[in-house]
Amino acid sequence: MKAAESAARRLASGNGITRDSVYLSYRISHQQRSASTATAAAETLQNPAHDTSIPPIISTDHQKAYRLLASPLLSRPPQLTRELTSFEKSYYLYQKRLNERSALPFSRYFYYKKGTPSDVEWKRKVAARKTAARDIGVYSGYGKEAWNDEVLVGSKLGEPDSIVENLARDAEGRMITNAEPVGDKEAVDGTAIGGDARAKEGTKKELELQVERPMPRRTEADERNDLMNPNRRLDRTLYLLVKRQDGTWRFPEDRVYGRENLREATSRIIAAALGPNIHTWTVANHPVAYYGSSFKAPDMTKVPKHPDIKHSVSLELEEYGEKVFFMKGRVMAGQVDLKENQYGNREWAWLSKDEVQEKVTEEYWRAIRNSLAER
Amino acid sequence: MKAPSTALLRTFSPLWSAQTLPWTARGCLLARQIQVQQANSFSTSQPQLARKRQGPKKDPKITQIRYHLQHPLTPRPLRFSRNRALRHWTIHRAWQLYQYNLRRDRELELERQYNSMRYACEQLRLIDNNGLTFEERERLGVSHEEASASGGTKGKEEGRLYRIAMQKKGIWEGVPIEYARIQTETPARDGWNSSWTR
Repeated sequence: MKAAESAARRLASGNGITRDSVYLSYRISHQQRSASTATAAAETLQNPAHDTSIPPIISTDHQKAYRLLASPLLSRPPQLTRELTSFEKSYYLYQKRLNERSALPFSRYFYYKKGTPSDVEWKRKVAARKTAARDIGVYSGYGKEAWNDEVLVGSKLGEPDSIVENLARDAEGRMITNAEPVGDKEAVDGTAIGGDARAKEGTKKELELQVERPMPRRTEADERNDLMNPNRRLDRTLYLLVKRQDGTWRFPEDRVYGRENLREATSRIIAAALGPNIHTWTVANHPVAYYGSSFKAPDMTKVPKHPDIKHSVSLELEEYGEKVFFMKGRVMAGQVDLKENQYGNREWAWLSKDEVQEKVTEEYWRAIRNSLAER
Repeated sequence: MKAPSTALLRTFSPLWSAQTLPWTARGCLLARQIQVQQANSFSTSQPQLARKRQGPKKDPKITQIRYHLQHPLTPRPLRFSRNRALRHWTIHRAWQLYQYNLRRDRELELERQYNSMRYACEQLRLIDNNGLTFEERERLGVSHEEASASGGTKGKEEGRLYRIAMQKKGIWEGVPIEYARIQTETPARDGWNSSWTR
């Protein structure tokens, strides 16, 4: 009980407050209690005279070890659907026009009452574009020209920009003048209708309404190539890399102290490295990637006791290499703040998979590349 | 307090009716009433309505929809010339191939991610508190006592992190609602929420 309370207090008072802090504190207390009782039982079996529940910690000389690190692999999920390929765009337009040829005709009187203003408006529009669909250009699925449903090479009709423009033009009630004609004959007809309508509508210019256009897919951060802004490359998954003191780029990482597990270490590292004002979610309890390397010469390290972690002791280790376990996390909101960074990181970058490859070392890349999403 | 009875009102007022069905079902109700009346005239069996050439009254909306669904210009079969049919076939096959490639790429990506995860978990299973596997302990000459002295009982520390990581308890707790956001074609007006604070 005491352990649970103190763990909860520690989590609440420190900066590592996560939304699952209650859950974590429960887990810590539970595991510690069970572990300590098991230890005690085992020790009484081995050495009945020595009866204590605290495991003996012998760290007189250097322990041989590998540096055990947890590393939050934080990613911003893609916000936008991917860019369509030219094949997809033209295929969708092709299918829309085919649909126009085979679908049931638009039954006007079912939707518009005869003689109403909306009916007049409908007639005006459909006379210009010849079809109910607003984004397939001037094409009619009836009559002699119905066979001519394929657009010419170099047409901009299927482009998303042109679709948006066509829909907005229709909503604003502007005339269809610059619509792409199917043949020469249509071009003449289209301009004629457009010209007539413009002459009629010349008097009510001030009534024209402006329909709100969608935001561009390329953001300001894209234009400035601002790598520190998560609002860039919205159709890709972005990963958060930080620059270490030795100048190499890596995901944020830290030792696993004492008896904490990977998930607890991950939330602690996120808070200690990136500041409190970033909304993250650690996806799983297990790691998604592993990076191991050996040092050229064993590294003598004094690991001090971590103040926030119970059961962590100061150790003197002789480290032969490092083992990094990457924990997948998602970033939902907020921003990175390295002011109180405890690992000496001074720079960060939001990078897509291909950009990550350019930043990190070859060995590191080989360890992580399979766990990163393609898009 | 008991609600006042509506029994008298129901008996004497023609305006009072406890209709629970929506007004759109009125046509249906009317038709049913007619049917019941006809059926109840002197026999309990259904009259043969078709012979008398008068069906139950239809809802005018249904009549309208049926009327507009009938069109002299339907059905319209697609008729292609020989070259056009071949072209269409080519486009279709290309699309199928493209979809197949997309699906395969996605599957392979998932497979790679899974394998990476499995490898990481396997590495986690093999190590003890000091990050050493059995082979590394042998190689570095770390005795078993020395290994277990690093804060735990013999054998208990190997794979401790792995065993904790494999616990699935509570992994769905605290999934943020923002995770339910679907991808859109164009971005939001206010962009990334960077003013979020804890």
